[in-house]
Order: sequence, then structure tokens, then C-alpha cells
Amino acid sequence: MHYFPQIKNKLLHLLPVLLLYFFSFYNFEELKNIGKINFFSFNFQMILIYFYILKYPEYLGFGHIFLCGLITDTVIGTPLGTTSLSYLSLSLFTTYLRNSTLRSIMTAEWFTFIPALFFSNFIYLIIVNNFSNVSFYYVELLQNTFFTFLFFPFFYYFFNYYQKFFIKD
Amino acid sequence: MPDNRDDFIISIRYALLKKGAKQKFSLFFLILFSISIITLDKLSLPFMNVSRSIISDIIYRVAIVSSKPAKIIEYSIKMANRHINVYKNNQTLIEEIELLKKQKFDFAYMQSENKILKSALNFSNDKSPNQIFSISAKVIIDLKSPYLKSILINKGTRSGIKKGMSVFNKDYLLGNIIETNYISSRVLLLTDLNSKLPVIIENTNVNAILEGTGKKKNLRLSYLPENYIIESEKIIFTSGKDGFIQGGIPVAKTFLNQKNKIKIKILGDPDQALIVRVTNGQVD
Repeated sequence: MHYFPQIKNKLLHLLPVLLLYFFSFYNFEELKNIGKINFFSFNFQMILIYFYILKYPEYLGFGHIFLCGLITDTVIGTPLGTTSLSYLSLSLFTTYLRNSTLRSIMTAEWFTFIPALFFSNFIYLIIVNNFSNVSFYYVELLQNTFFTFLFFPFFYYFFNYYQKFFIKD
Repeated sequence: MPDNRDDFIISIRYALLKKGAKQKFSLFFLILFSISIITLDKLSLPFMNVSRSIISDIIYRVAIVSSKPAKIIEYSIKMANRHINVYKNNQTLIEEIELLKKQKFDFAYMQSENKILKSALNFSNDKSPNQIFSISAKVIIDLKSPYLKSILINKGTRSGIKKGMSVFNKDYLLGNIIETNYISSRVLLLTDLNSKLPVIIENTNVNAILEGTGKKKNLRLSYLPENYIIESEKIIFTSGKDGFIQGGIPVAKTFLNQKNKIKIKILGDPDQALIVRVTNGQVD
């Protein structure tokens, strides 16, 4: 029985990684068919990667991010490695931000999410444009990026709360 | 200025090469690895195709399991809606059955007349029985990302499915196969931007190309004759000009939207497709 707290603690530590894998396999497409949910679709993986690489990099390995990108590519049908590179470029941008920031302020981190999103989506679009014949829906992509940016504070507080109250190091 | 540049380079180098706490791989290595995968995938080397096919089959199976909770929620909402609207739906169905009964006889007569005329003109494009291929498949995942509107089915090359085959749902064309794995395949929907289908408009001899725009109720017709104005309530059929898909299959319909603009909607609903038929161009 004394193993239970250890297992619980391990699972709580692994939650960001598990969430990242879960959302890579499944994007709640069925739920998007209900009502106007599709309009508010956003990229949860990007929020998760940005937050954890910025605040708690020890909880989210680059190897996991790379693998999740490969899974997303396979599920969506884009060229293999595209999403991985996009997520890794987001991680690179975020690591750079973390290294060059002295004080953590939520609003500043929220607004630096704009160039981070732009940078990673830009790389994605360049690869999809040049390495595949897939045409994409710019409006949907813009909507998705906008709502990813808009919902960031909500997840910021949620993840912060989770890290402070559930993870005991 | 040079100091700032040095700081920037040091920060970037640090971000790229430093593994950090509990990181097993450096970003630099993983970025290089991603670029090499993209390049190998683009070159379509035989070993890459095989490995992609195997990875896809495994990932699709896991994706089915992970999509179950949301499918259950969707099913419950649909069932609840169906129960609420049962009386209204019943009335509509009775009216539809009456109408269809009347149309059935006309249709049978026209079909036999069409066959006779085609054989008289030696114009038949029917396939011989040994050319006919038809298999049922289950939709395992339906994905509509900002990049691709596609569905995944649970049959692949093991069942004889090949790239380019047509996929039907309740006699309506849904799309065609664009990717085949050993036990799964990807269907590109007619609503996708990349979908192009040669069609003919009802009661006219106007040929056009039906293109997707990403929306079920907003397809587009291109290469229409100059000054041609499309009317509402017209059925759009496949013309069979691509030499693969049989002509005369209904695919879309024109209609007036709420703003009194003529739009084109797809007849088969990909969101409702559960079991589909994969054929080599003909309707079952």
C-alpha cells in the first residue's frame, strides 16, 4: 500500500506528458461537430509546450515533444516531421525567452506567446507549402491561432495552480 | 551593438545545445532529426513508405481508443436530440416516403431507357464483372484539421484497396482514397480544398469541376461556361470524364441560402458516415 503515494506522485508529474500524447492522438473532432465549438478550436499542445518549457522545463522533455509531433503528423496526414519541427521551433523560441528573461510576469509571457506562435506556424506553413501538395485553410488557421493566444491565460493559471498545489517535490 | 549580438548568439546557442534538467536530447539534435525525416519523406524512398505505413497503422489503432470518450458524448447528445425530435422527424419521413414512392417508378423507367440508349450508341462505360471491386469499411477517425479534410477507414492494401478508389456513403460519393496502409486507408473528402471532380449539372450538358472549400454547404464549380448562371435546386452528377469514376452519380445539389445566394452542398454527409463502400469507380 505504501507504493500508492509514489505512483500517484509519478502520475501527477507525468500529467503534462500524458496530456500532450493524448491530444496528439485525438483532437476532439467529434465534439467539434456539436454546435459552434469548431469556431473556438485552439491548439492545446502549443499552450502546453509554451507554458511548461517556459516555467517548468523539467516536466516536459524535448524527446516527448518530438514524438508527439510525429504522431500528430500521422493522424492529420501532413508530411512526417512537420509538426515536430514546428513544436521544436516553439520550444527553441521559448527556451530563448526563458534564458533572456529575469522576472516572470504573466502579461509579458502572454504577449511573447504571439511571436512564439507566429514563428512556429511560419515554419509549419513553409514546410507544408514546399514539401507537400496539401492546401490549407488560412482563415481556420488564423482563427485557431487567435483562440490559442486568447485562451492562454486561462491555462496559465490552471497549470500554475496544478503545479503549486498538486506537485510536491 | 556587438555585445547585444554576442548575447543573442550565446542565448540561442545555449537554447539549442544545452540539454537542461532531465532533458535527454538537445533541441539542435531533434531539429536536425526532424529536418532529415521531412527530407526522407519528401524523397518517398521505399523504406520510408513502408515505415510510414507501419507507423500509421499503429498510431491509428491507438487513436481509435483515445477517441472513444468523446464519441460516447457525441452519441449521447445525438440520441437525446433524436428523442426530442422524434414526432417531427416521423412526419417528415412519411412525406418523404410518399414522394420517393412516386419517383421510384419514373426512375426505374428512365434507368432502363438510359441503358438501351447507351447500348444503341455503343457508349456504355460500365465495367465488366471481373473489373468490379467493392468492399465495406468502417470509419475509424474523421479528422477535419485546418490542413486536410479526411477520414480514416479500417481497410487497407490487405483488402485490395488502392489509391484513387472511390468511397461512397449511402450511394452518395464522399471522396477518394489518397493514402493506403496495410490495414487502414485515408479518404480525401469532396469538401477538401485539394479535391477536384469532373461533374455535369442536371438537365444541362454543362461540364464543370467541383472543388471543395472546406465546408459542406459551400462547394465551388469552376471551368463553367462564360455567362452561365447556375440555378438553385439542381443536382450535380459525376460526368465520368476522369475515366475512372462512373458517370451519373449524384454528388451535390445547388440551393438558396438564407441570404438568397446560390450555394452548393454535398449530398453525402461525411460527419454521419459510419460504414462506407470503397469501389473502383462504380456505385454498388
